[in-house]
Amino acid sequence: MAGSEQWVLVEMAQAVYEAPAYHLLLEVFLIICIIRLLFFSKSYRPLDRTQLTEAEEEELIREWQPEPLVPANPSPPYLKYHVVSGAAGKFVTVDNRECLNLSSLNFLGFLESPRIKAAALSSLRKYGVGTCGPRGFYGTFDVHLELEMKLASMMATQEAIIYAYGPSAISSAIPAYAKRGDVVFADMAVSLPLQQGLSASRSNIRWFRHNDLDHLETLLKEQAAEDKKNPKKARVVRRFVLVEGIYLNTGNVCPLPELVQLKYRYKFRIFLEESLSFGVLGDTGRGLTEHFGINVEDVDFICSTMENSLATIGGFCCGRSFVIDHQRLSGQGYCFSASLPPLLTVAALEALVMMEEKPEMFKELREQCRLLYDSVQGIPGLTVGGNPVSPVLHIRLAEPSQSRERDMATLEAIIESCAQEGVAVTLARCIEKDEVFPPPPSIRLAVNVELTQGEIHRAAVVLRSAASHHLLE
Amino acid sequence: MNVGVAHSSPNPNSGVMNSRGTWLAYAITVGSLHAVLISMPFLSIGLAWTLTNVFHNLAMYVLLHMVKGTPFITPDQGKARLLTYWEQIDHGMQYTTSRKFLTVTPIILYFLASFYTKYEPQHFAVNTVSLMSVLVPKLPQFDRVRIFGINKY
Repeated sequence: MAGSEQWVLVEMAQAVYEAPAYHLLLEVFLIICIIRLLFFSKSYRPLDRTQLTEAEEEELIREWQPEPLVPANPSPPYLKYHVVSGAAGKFVTVDNRECLNLSSLNFLGFLESPRIKAAALSSLRKYGVGTCGPRGFYGTFDVHLELEMKLASMMATQEAIIYAYGPSAISSAIPAYAKRGDVVFADMAVSLPLQQGLSASRSNIRWFRHNDLDHLETLLKEQAAEDKKNPKKARVVRRFVLVEGIYLNTGNVCPLPELVQLKYRYKFRIFLEESLSFGVLGDTGRGLTEHFGINVEDVDFICSTMENSLATIGGFCCGRSFVIDHQRLSGQGYCFSASLPPLLTVAALEALVMMEEKPEMFKELREQCRLLYDSVQGIPGLTVGGNPVSPVLHIRLAEPSQSRERDMATLEAIIESCAQEGVAVTLARCIEKDEVFPPPPSIRLAVNVELTQGEIHRAAVVLRSAASHHLLE
Repeated sequence: MNVGVAHSSPNPNSGVMNSRGTWLAYAITVGSLHAVLISMPFLSIGLAWTLTNVFHNLAMYVLLHMVKGTPFITPDQGKARLLTYWEQIDHGMQYTTSRKFLTVTPIILYFLASFYTKYEPQHFAVNTVSLMSVLVPKLPQFDRVRIFGINKY
């Protein structure tokens, strides 16, 4: 045995002697490479080679504004509060004056409903106040599951998911699906939580002019042309369109039927945010899809806050199970925030039950919206922004000055006169430095279903007289 | 999946080869592949070594230089979606310890295969081509390079 082993070794050694030169040279070269790699190389980070296009470079150069070393004082309006005492229902006590409330987004009047309050109080006695945990860590209560099932069945979708804070619903939902390299076509008038969701998603945003589907189609055609030039890239790029049902910043309604047609022609997913249209539009308050008679499956998900019509805290997102289930692990606001307190969940449940019991309230609400819209038309010096069916209207100056502060001061003066006459309206607030396209200053009117026709007329008259007092002098 | 959220590295792929035991596991895997091949009676020793070398390099090429992205969703919104695993190691830093280890192992296997095939030219051709296919993509000059747009998206 030992002999044959040695014999094999001798054979091996002989093979090395008789090895071809090129092979041995290669091995020596590889040994030198190893030595160089192990002993004579230092780790370093290569420079980031992201290439910016000319247009992007120009835009970055143009956008750059040097910030002052010492920031200027915050503008006074933020320091001048109108203090509300008591509940802000149909009547609100502002600065110790009781006024008719046309500022709160309490469309269905649930804020002061005794039935909802009773349900919330009984659940407070049962569950306590908070949940002390996110949904994944002992924060899921039976009422959460109940509310999710009820919302899903009401919206005729497969599944719904609840968030504990309204704006975090949409700002968590968008980055759960849209990632780097994806393209989102967004309306220019989307509100701040949607803009925050878009920037958190790190995708390429293409803004299209507000409610201008022709502009959207132009952008889609450009995208299609790019895709044709680079089909391999197009196969991995996801395309989305983000719209609101009724826009908070303008009061206009999104033309959903045409958008769905565009969807099937240009192949993108629709993200519909229905904060103002849920519980407002449609025969049973299901929102924009019911209003236009569109199959809810044509929209990829519907997101809304429960803080407007349902008069509680929180938000939800509903759609197909395949879509919504993804947010249970990828929705940052769902996984990493404490869940909705049970008393607020029960308030939402009760509100949904009340919506189901009395579907006439939506028709009433729409009639009042129409009435307010008609009543505020033709005020000299002011224009009305919004749709007759929208519960939110924006009153803007017909001839805005160049200075935003001056316009806001004018509108504040009008609001102050209205408050003196007993009608509480508000300036549409926005954080100018955070908004991508800050909307022009406006007074935002909100309709409440509990308002009577007389009260709506009176509010319009008060607004007219306040405007004539401040604008025609 | 909520990976990489509890500590500083948003892409866990970058630190796998630095973890305790991965080098040993790698060596054991290659060793067991070779053990299986060498125990086949119909394969000569030289052929078994060449096949070990080729299978190892093939697996290395596919896993390190062909497959892109991560098998999980990362909290950085898909920064590594178009990067191969080799490009993700240590967040793109070149010449780190793990990269040196992964560069040296195919060369060692090549030396062993060359020795046990007695430097025959047919085995030389196959082994050298296989080695080059796995060494060239590891050069820093080839970081994030896609030739002819293959495997770019």
